[in-house]
Amino acid sequence: MQNFNISGHISGKFNQELESLKNAVLAMGGQVELQLRRTLTALRSEDKRAAEKIIHDDNKVNEMELRIDDECMRIIARRHPTASDLRLVLTIVKINADVERIGDEVERIARMITLTDLPASARIKADMFETGQQILEMFNSTLNAFARMDSESAKRIHTDDRKVDEKYKHLLVQVIQEMQDNEEIAPAWLDILWSLRAMERIGDRCKNVCEYIIYFVEGVNVRHDDTDFADE
Amino acid sequence: MPDQSTSQKSLKALSPEQTAIEVRNLSLRFGKKTALRDISLKIPKHSITAIIGPSGCGKSTLIGCFNRLNDLTPDCQVDGKVLVNDKNIYGSRQNVPILRSQVGMVFQQPNPFPMSIYENVVYGLRIKGITDRRILDDAAETALNMAALWDEVKDSLFQPAMVLSGGQQQRLVIARALALEPEILLLDEPTSALDPISTLQIEELIFGLKQKHTVVIVTHNLQQAARVSDQTAFLNQGELIEYSKTDTMFTMPLKQQTEAFITGRFG
Repeated sequence: MQNFNISGHISGKFNQELESLKNAVLAMGGQVELQLRRTLTALRSEDKRAAEKIIHDDNKVNEMELRIDDECMRIIARRHPTASDLRLVLTIVKINADVERIGDEVERIARMITLTDLPASARIKADMFETGQQILEMFNSTLNAFARMDSESAKRIHTDDRKVDEKYKHLLVQVIQEMQDNEEIAPAWLDILWSLRAMERIGDRCKNVCEYIIYFVEGVNVRHDDTDFADE
Repeated sequence: MPDQSTSQKSLKALSPEQTAIEVRNLSLRFGKKTALRDISLKIPKHSITAIIGPSGCGKSTLIGCFNRLNDLTPDCQVDGKVLVNDKNIYGSRQNVPILRSQVGMVFQQPNPFPMSIYENVVYGLRIKGITDRRILDDAAETALNMAALWDEVKDSLFQPAMVLSGGQQQRLVIARALALEPEILLLDEPTSALDPISTLQIEELIFGLKQKHTVVIVTHNLQQAARVSDQTAFLNQGELIEYSKTDTMFTMPLKQQTEAFITGRFG
């Protein structure tokens, strides 16, 4: 059974509470998306000051996460949600955690920008920026799929994570090749490797969010199985 | 957690040995008013089945069919079959008093008789003609223990039942039903007149009863249905809308109407 309508309860206040909860997650997602976009701009221009502001702004995301958790707990305690309402609240608890962790990964990339004079070649920098754009689009689509509770879009994004993984593997090979030629600045290279890993992890976390959307809409748990939506 | 289709299939696939009550195409009318329409379901033995639905949907009428209580209502006309232990209780050879001792019933308001606690419990046994004091004493103690009331009343068995609290009175009424050793116990909103603590005590009691009995409970309290039952039937306007495992119904109901009812969107 599919049910995307979170309003329609006899209690108008409960409608408002669920709507506000969903909007709070979208607002948090919007804040993380903004920080990711700014990080990519700072990465391209190697703007350390902008990167420091992004690190500082991660506190906003952390505060939003705590408020959403509190609201979920309050709704469970006071409303005893069932069926699609219960799935929505559980889905939001999970998405909330993943979006906050995406914020942490963005902070990790920004920290690299502040710490290091990037030793990588222009080609690697361009590829990092391109991968960043790819995950930014993926994250934006994930938030849209959540806003519309669109499980079909979620399945497409879930499949798209493979492209990010391939790009990551390809970049890793490139970085290791350049590292071997510049071994004396290994710590800076490690920062680059951690940032690449952070980008790949953002893709994984978008995939997690898509799995929760599919669970909410279709009631099917696709986590930890080998479902390939590209084959469907 | 079973998915929707597995949950429904497992209830349909019950063998006669596993089934306490089977309802086949049951329809019931009071005069011209149809109260139940073509209901079919199987209630497994040693389990708790909740029946939920809005007021007037036919919940109490349905469980009233399980011990032919509706026979007492004028103009009641029943079509279809209700099989208890694979035997149609609407057959012409059914002995209704025996059926009612086999299928006990407890109602919303505690209704102890104006006599002592002890006499309330053994009332049904005396009606059956049992007079041996030792048998009656044993039966009273066993029934009161099963109803989780023995420790509270063992020193006041010959006090009037009316001095008990509402929750104790309801457990006494359950003990009175249990003294007859029914296979099936029907509970029609047994806690709607009780405070939250008494309600939890009755729920705990109901949970323990399924070791020896099959319990069918009608309730308006959806959280209660979710807490105590193994499977839940949702009725609306005399029709069975959905019947599935309680875990499934309260997380991923199959029908839109069920979803609307249990999430408070009905109306």
